[in-house]
Amino acid sequence: MSKRRMFLRMITASLLRRRSRMLIALLSIGIGATILAGLVTVYVDVPRQMAAQFRSYGANMLLVPSGSALTREEADAAMALIPDEERVGAAPYRYVYLNMVRRQQSFAAAGTDFEQVKRTSPYFKVTGRYPEGPREVLVGKGVADTVGARLNGVMELTWFPPSEPQEDREEDFDILPGMTLTGRAQGYGSREGFNDNPVYVTFTIGEDGMIASLSVDTSSETAGVGTRCSEEDFTALFIGKDPKDLVLGRDVDAVSGATVTSEAVVRAIMDAKPVTEESAVLVPRTINYTVVGILETGGEEEGYIYMSLADMGAITGESDRLDLVELSVSATQDNLERYAEEITSSGHATARLVKRVTKSETAVLGKLQALVFLVTLVVLVLTMVSVSTTMMAVVTERRREIGLRKALGASDGAIRGEFLGEGLFLGALGGLLGAALGFVFAQVVSVNVFGSDIRFNFWLLPITVIVSMAVAALSCLLPVRRAVAVDPALVLKGE
Amino acid sequence: MSLLDIRNVSKIYGELKALDNVSIRVDQGEWVAIMGPSGSGKSTMMNIIGCMDKPTKGQVFLDGIDIAKESSKRLTDIRRDKIGLIFQQFHMVNYLTAVENVMVSQYYHSMPDEAEALEALERVGLRERARHLPSQLSGGEQQRVCVARALINHPELILADEPTGNLDETNENIVLDLFRQLHREGTTLIVVTHDPEVAEAAQRTIVLEHGRLVREVVNEHFGE
Repeated sequence: MSKRRMFLRMITASLLRRRSRMLIALLSIGIGATILAGLVTVYVDVPRQMAAQFRSYGANMLLVPSGSALTREEADAAMALIPDEERVGAAPYRYVYLNMVRRQQSFAAAGTDFEQVKRTSPYFKVTGRYPEGPREVLVGKGVADTVGARLNGVMELTWFPPSEPQEDREEDFDILPGMTLTGRAQGYGSREGFNDNPVYVTFTIGEDGMIASLSVDTSSETAGVGTRCSEEDFTALFIGKDPKDLVLGRDVDAVSGATVTSEAVVRAIMDAKPVTEESAVLVPRTINYTVVGILETGGEEEGYIYMSLADMGAITGESDRLDLVELSVSATQDNLERYAEEITSSGHATARLVKRVTKSETAVLGKLQALVFLVTLVVLVLTMVSVSTTMMAVVTERRREIGLRKALGASDGAIRGEFLGEGLFLGALGGLLGAALGFVFAQVVSVNVFGSDIRFNFWLLPITVIVSMAVAALSCLLPVRRAVAVDPALVLKGE
Repeated sequence: MSLLDIRNVSKIYGELKALDNVSIRVDQGEWVAIMGPSGSGKSTMMNIIGCMDKPTKGQVFLDGIDIAKESSKRLTDIRRDKIGLIFQQFHMVNYLTAVENVMVSQYYHSMPDEAEALEALERVGLRERARHLPSQLSGGEQQRVCVARALINHPELILADEPTGNLDETNENIVLDLFRQLHREGTTLIVVTHDPEVAEAAQRTIVLEHGRLVREVVNEHFGE
């Protein structure tokens, strides 16, 4: 048997057969190494991911309307100012509020182009898939959790026309037979958080100039009370009545218990205007959508419902209007600034760079890294203190054994080698343990804090093991000195 | 030439004279007992012979080398190469098996050789206990392992400190029989003891009192 094998046999026997002390030392090193590996993983990986999201792929320019609205043509004209090959992605967005009437809740909805979203927001984590066909929606996790939406479930969404009065149209018109009129008035309202709970009416004029048919939309009213005003029992009362001269109680009786809604219906009829192409959009629309994907980003995007621009146009009646275009441009900072200026001065749209966001993100990350570095350092020092104390106790405990070894002819170097060997072995073992546990730890931190998976860095394994061994070796310096100082004669006295 | 030649050795700790001008000669192959009550200087003598301490005055020649003049590093080498030690408290590495404990001695001396270590255990009648830890061995068995360990490197001198002090009579006899066997094979033995029975087993007994050599008795019945 070679000396080296005997050396290893003695060291492993010492570690395996004298478990309790060594377990404490191993635990200290293991915990230290775990935190080291974990924090370094976070330290290295999170900025890498953030950088990937914010700098390389993510949107770095926004186009917003110069005036009141941004049309598709304006957006295209603005984007034409950026060379094609530098335009990595351009995701248009149109935002509106849509309502789940039955749940009396409203959500922000965005119409967009999903092919472009994949390019400008590569960090979107979609369970299921992106919408491809009509009437398919991608639902943010926040929304999904709130309403209990499930994959392949159906969401009934209602769009209510905006409450601002339409542009001044001619007030004077004659009510003519065959005409269709539409109107709205504030009802009792049941939608929480909404100032505006209109009741909508649509009616036609008969040959006699009186109301020939009437439909009432009370979807924003209290179910079972106000909504009864849209039932035929009530609407039939208006047939043959003069739309310009209606009095509740004289011409029609209110629905009992729903006086406010009944009054709103009367007011809506009196204020109604003829249906033109523009005013046609004044009617709320309800459409059923299929949930094909749930979106997780860890950010505010989780509070949105996403659908294609075509679906958005179908529900709002406006197909051309955009609120925002997110652009991902692969260009230097100088060029980016130049493009932004050109676009803004062209008058098509106002371009903004998201540089400042990136900058503050970098600053925050820098501080985070400094903190991680400090914590790691403190943990390493604590580990060293702990291992050193344990090894010191081990040396005290093994004084007789050390004395015996010296009496048997062990040189100081041999004693030093054996204790350092045990320390290094512990360091390596603790390092391996720590590298594995540290990755798990980093994964948990990353998923919970940053909402992203972490990549395993293989180079971190040797680094953790080497650092652990170095820490263990350093921790052993003082205990080893004490071990070497043991007098071999102590074994002779009959202690 | 004597294997061990101690000439006018004194060891002084402050005011205390642990050894006072002692001279002893031990020839190759001799079996000598050193006796004396506690405080007589036995332990100090043992430490000096065992190369673990140096005299304040005098010369100690071991195999022709004056160990009183050597550095402590050289003393370690000399001890390893020439002396086999046996202790009252046995002193085994408690996490190593019997055979591994014997191999530790080989490891520091030259090369660990498990077969040879097993042979040494065979000699002390513990071949089948080779894989046991010290905690699984009786006191007598432990001391026999220590004898095997002491003779494994074929030392010039076996130095035993109260080797039977912690043993019952049966085990004491086993150990003394082992010594007799070693003596017959020509090994030089120095046994420090306060047990007259153990001393009587030796060829010659040296009695120390208050650091002085007071008596030397030759055992006339030796070998009977």
